[in-house]
Amino acid sequence: MKTLIILSHPDVAGSTTQQFLMAATQTLENVTLHHLEKHYPTGKIDRVYEQALLAEHDRIIFQFPLYWYSSPSLLKEWQDVVLDEKKITDWQGKEFGIVVIAGVAKKEYQAGGREIFTMDELMRPYQAIANKFKWQYLPIFGIYQFAYMTETCKQKLLIRYQQYLMLGNSQTLAERTAWFQNQLISISLSKEASLHDKIDLIKEQLQTNQEELEMLRFTLDELE
Amino acid sequence: MKEEQNWLLTEIDALLTQVTSYEEKALYLSLKKLVNEQYNRLEQLEGQLDGTLWSPKEWGEN
Repeated sequence: MKTLIILSHPDVAGSTTQQFLMAATQTLENVTLHHLEKHYPTGKIDRVYEQALLAEHDRIIFQFPLYWYSSPSLLKEWQDVVLDEKKITDWQGKEFGIVVIAGVAKKEYQAGGREIFTMDELMRPYQAIANKFKWQYLPIFGIYQFAYMTETCKQKLLIRYQQYLMLGNSQTLAERTAWFQNQLISISLSKEASLHDKIDLIKEQLQTNQEELEMLRFTLDELE
Repeated sequence: MKEEQNWLLTEIDALLTQVTSYEEKALYLSLKKLVNEQYNRLEQLEGQLDGTLWSPKEWGEN
């Protein structure tokens, strides 16, 4: 599964959230980060190039800061130029997700909150696009008030974000375990032999636990 | 099972003392959460299995 992040942000260098997220994608396999404002400083989007990029990825992620309950303008321009109803058949079956960054607390995005509408409601036009193109719409990955997060929260966010990009909706315990095992393999490759063995042991224990869980579930199913 | 869980968490803590990057540290911290989730699930399923095997419903049939 290849993931394409279409990032729109007019000032990426000045955004600590975007810097944090961009750093988190650097080591990931099969994840392409495509920053629109960097690629198109004049704002003129290459339709053919973008359509080819879209075609070669299976999971499309729009990543942007919330500007007036929508995206920065270049992402809207991208939609106007690139999306094409004639491509519905060619592009169907992809997954589509949104990583949206908001400066307001999550609790305000609900009926009775200061922003009144939920993020799911505000992102409805994107959901309609996903529906039109027969793309599976992933739960929105919202990041709220990043600047106020504790270090521990940021570290958890980093891993959840990587899993969102790489696993999409496949986030059962078994799938997340397999994801951690793969990450451990790539880390251990860069380590000296003694650490390599330690990491291997951990990886093996995760596997043993997973097999035990499957065996217990199997036994319970048999008894029912 | 508890001993094994503690051993695993201690091993991850040992790796945490030697991390070389922020991302690696984040990975180990979230891994500890996953390990706890695995053992919780194991405990729940084992409990469920015990409950099923010792159900009075089954006794009457013997």
